[in-house]
Amino acid sequence: MKTRILVANRGEIAIRLIRAIQELGYEAIAVYETPDEMSSHIRIADEAVCLGPGPRSDYLNIDKIIRAAKKSGAAAIHPGYGFLAENPYFAKACEASGVIFIGPSSEIISNLGNKVIARKIMGDAKIPMVPGTANLSQGKEGIREALGFAEKYGYPVMLKATSGGGGRGIRRIESDKDMVEQIPVARAEALAAFNDDSVYLEKVVVNPKHVEVQILADSFGKTLHLGTRDCSIQRRNQKLVEIAPSMIQNKELLDNICETAVLAAKAANYLNAGTVEFLIDSDMNYYFMEINTRVQVEHTVTEMITGIDIVRNQINIAFGKPLSFGQEDVNIRGHAIEVRINAEDPKNNFMPEGGKKVSVYRSTGGFGVRLDGFVYQGYIIPEVYDSLLVKLTVHGFTWEETVGRLRRCLANFTISGPKTTIPFYQNIANERDFVNGDFDTSYIDTHPYIFHYEEDSSEASKLARFVAEIHYAKENPFAK
Amino acid sequence: MARIIPGSPAKEIVDTLRSAKGYYLTNTARDLSQSDFKNRLLLHTDLIAAEKRDNAGYFSLEITGGASIHVDMLRKQVNPFTKLRKLREKMPNTMFQTLCRGVNLFGYRPYPKNIVRFTVREFAKYVDVWRTFDFLNHVPNMTAVFEEVARAGRLNEPCLCFSTGPEHTNEFYVKKAQEIIDVTGRDITLCIKNHGGLGSPVRIGELVDALKQNFGDIPIHYHGHNTDGNDVGRIVEAVKNGASIVDAADSAFTGFYGPPPILSVVQTLREYGFHPEGLDEDAVIETSEIIRDERVYYEQFESQIKGFQPTVQIHKLPGGAMGSSLEQASKGGFLDKMPEILHKELPRVQKELGNYWSVTPGSQILWTTAVANVLDGERYGNPSGDLRNLLLGKYGPFPFYQPEDWIYEKVLGENWRQVLEEEGGIEEIADIDLALERYELSSLIGVEPTDEQLVLYLQHPNDAVDFFKFEEKYGQVHVLPPSIFFRKGGFYQGEKLSFRDYHGKEHMIEVGPSPVTNSGETSVYLMVDHHQTIYTYQKKTAAGGDAAVQVLTKEEIIDLAKAGDVRSPFNGKIVEISVEEGQEVLVGDRVAIMEAMKMQTPILCEMAGIVTAISAKKGDTMHPGAKILKIDLNE
Repeated sequence: MKTRILVANRGEIAIRLIRAIQELGYEAIAVYETPDEMSSHIRIADEAVCLGPGPRSDYLNIDKIIRAAKKSGAAAIHPGYGFLAENPYFAKACEASGVIFIGPSSEIISNLGNKVIARKIMGDAKIPMVPGTANLSQGKEGIREALGFAEKYGYPVMLKATSGGGGRGIRRIESDKDMVEQIPVARAEALAAFNDDSVYLEKVVVNPKHVEVQILADSFGKTLHLGTRDCSIQRRNQKLVEIAPSMIQNKELLDNICETAVLAAKAANYLNAGTVEFLIDSDMNYYFMEINTRVQVEHTVTEMITGIDIVRNQINIAFGKPLSFGQEDVNIRGHAIEVRINAEDPKNNFMPEGGKKVSVYRSTGGFGVRLDGFVYQGYIIPEVYDSLLVKLTVHGFTWEETVGRLRRCLANFTISGPKTTIPFYQNIANERDFVNGDFDTSYIDTHPYIFHYEEDSSEASKLARFVAEIHYAKENPFAK
Repeated sequence: MARIIPGSPAKEIVDTLRSAKGYYLTNTARDLSQSDFKNRLLLHTDLIAAEKRDNAGYFSLEITGGASIHVDMLRKQVNPFTKLRKLREKMPNTMFQTLCRGVNLFGYRPYPKNIVRFTVREFAKYVDVWRTFDFLNHVPNMTAVFEEVARAGRLNEPCLCFSTGPEHTNEFYVKKAQEIIDVTGRDITLCIKNHGGLGSPVRIGELVDALKQNFGDIPIHYHGHNTDGNDVGRIVEAVKNGASIVDAADSAFTGFYGPPPILSVVQTLREYGFHPEGLDEDAVIETSEIIRDERVYYEQFESQIKGFQPTVQIHKLPGGAMGSSLEQASKGGFLDKMPEILHKELPRVQKELGNYWSVTPGSQILWTTAVANVLDGERYGNPSGDLRNLLLGKYGPFPFYQPEDWIYEKVLGENWRQVLEEEGGIEEIADIDLALERYELSSLIGVEPTDEQLVLYLQHPNDAVDFFKFEEKYGQVHVLPPSIFFRKGGFYQGEKLSFRDYHGKEHMIEVGPSPVTNSGETSVYLMVDHHQTIYTYQKKTAAGGDAAVQVLTKEEIIDLAKAGDVRSPFNGKIVEISVEEGQEVLVGDRVAIMEAMKMQTPILCEMAGIVTAISAKKGDTMHPGAKILKIDLNE
């Protein structure tokens, strides 16, 4: 029997994984919840297992997925991104049941998922991090320490409760006066909320660029990077547009960042594919943020500029094979841009458009174009999952050529039924700062006019809907 | 003689008319559409005619106002302002004219003064000539419009509504004209609004002469209808006696109840030595040649009964109401009763109610009262809310005499004197908060409305909102030709429909198959600009199922009402639910208001008790017997 790998995910990433599995000569086992039974990932897989009605709960059910793997004879599980991808218990359960988990070990996932432990590991390895203090001393001494920190790094700073988390116990401080007033208040609050009044400070990086480095590490001690990506165009930490490599015109800085990423991965004993994320401030200082222990949505841009199949390497590494190339074989060629085409209405706060039927789906193609999607004409978008329909990735020799290709592809991409982010991306692709490669995490907020576009529901399609009504009703129902 | 062009100051226009040797013509396309085609002539057709009409050199083109604002949105799905803009693009040289019902604007009931002014201001951006009337010839009902029109620098054309009968003397009309001129000043054109086409040519000639004797410097605009086939005769006498402008329409579309053909008027008057100022007769002929082929698409909207109606001199229905009354009679199954209604009851009611002018909204009151009197068997037994308001003097005072006491008693009840005392007379309608209305509208349509949208909303709230939503969903459908817009029986498979959209872009739709699935879902396949699109329709709920509306007889509905089960007594729309669940009600209390045939009728409580369930809501369309609400005994 052929080696089988279970794909513990849905949507476009399930298809991406199935393709790599099948290209390696293995068989792909899909899983699905019943709301997903129309999804095309089921059709292209070699076998599919229904997990249950869900929604979402069955994709998150460790027992069910391991049972499905066992039952279908899968040797390994690829978790994709989201769902169980960064759940150390899932990796552990795989390890315990003798199924290979395609990703790092449960211990690495667990360590890097914990901010405190991760910060400690990186601190020991001298990886630059956003400056911060230890717990502030009690009373006047603590205030003196705080003012000293602010003087050195400048405002604004974040005042954080040591025992806080999930956004609680954090306040932004803008001035000395603010600091003196806020520390006692914060302490009192922290004591009441977490039974611990310790607080510390962290510098705020204002409007940073979000740059990340793709890492591959095998179990023979080889750790490589595949260059940088820039994911600065985000809204509320949700990435919308990703490019590779970073457009920062400072090769030495980017090289340093990549080398730092490799050091960070090594410090964490990292295995398999991962992403080391950094923030870069306006003075080109860079700070370690975190390591993502999964394949990322935006891995496609790195694949396009390096020609290296990340998912294929993930599987090989997990099966104990050495990386077949060295750092010197990794060449960056040209530029790539990925846009996430979502069934959302950007004008209406990116409200999801789930539940609607895709009445027209005409995708683009041609030189330097890659599509990772799973929807088709007639498909009804389930309301219970995320709204990503298809990722459009374009690759070009120069940045200018790449942006031109993106524009062309978006103009030729037609999805009717749900509203999509296509017209929004068209505006970005024509916007001057983007065209100049000049953007940071404030991009969406500082360029509000990218939300100004005519709805795709063109006059022709509106009038056609009216003609259809007359045709169906056998007379104009409005003119009676 | 120089042509009068849009934008000319009112005084300049009137001076040109004063010094003209011949007469001018107004093309009343709007009245033609309303009288003979139930207001359905599409902008598409008017645009085909536009260039030739512009070349023809009319004094004005009446293309908006009357019921057209409402029907534009309700049945033609075109924004009345868009219509004016599109026409203006193609007709730069012709003044546009509207018909405004004074304080009732383009609706059927009086509006607050600030709405009247706001509406006039917005429309005055496009409309040059303002023909304004009041169905009681009550001048105060028109003054707000006069003032705003003058403020906008447009031409006021106040109307004397004309009718016949012993009270309708030259002295009365001359006095009325003086009353108007006292308000408007003398730089106006004065319209004789002969909405029924009443009176003989001689009578019209005498009236024009009397007016000219008294107001020699004021140009008279004669407006008539050809219902009896004799309007050309009246027009000839009007011009012979000094009228400056007369109304007619394009012959390709002339019918029975609207204006007569322009060319017939011109040819006849030429024999009498009168010359049409600025008119290009070739362009008049070419207009009809161009639009003649379009008429076939409007056949379904032409009158149920064909032929002139010389008996209009008896029943006096205005041209605009002829088609719709016949349609109602046909749909309501009482066509056989029409001779009795038109020739016996209507003249009787007319006389009983003061012999005022049978024009909107007064004509609707006469008509619905006459119909109810004949069909119910009891005269004035089931009075409409608007008849009640008429008797209470809400529209203005009766011009000649008041109805007899027994009618007051029938309509207002036994204590009618007290009711009249307490509720009678014109109420000053309080201004409404426009900012609040704007906010309301924005929450209904989800975007900040334009001023024009607000104006339309204030005129016809429910229908305007429906229209705005329609526009959002289906776009600017007025670009579609009548062959598509009014198609019956669906399109042929393979049929290619081509048209230009609002932006001028050419499109083609090819009609594909429409398969039906086992579950009854229909998929309509269209190739839109060579791209396939599929529209899916769920199965319609089967007739005769549980949801089917039971048709109850009038007696059954009354019996149910007496048992506390309030049902709709006729086909109509809920305008208001006047009570809340849990509210105590007494016999005779108003529980709801319904609207049908433009008339509002209160639904009264037939049993005392407590309102326990409300099944209908504002805006619902009701069939006879449909549930409105339930009243239970208060125990």
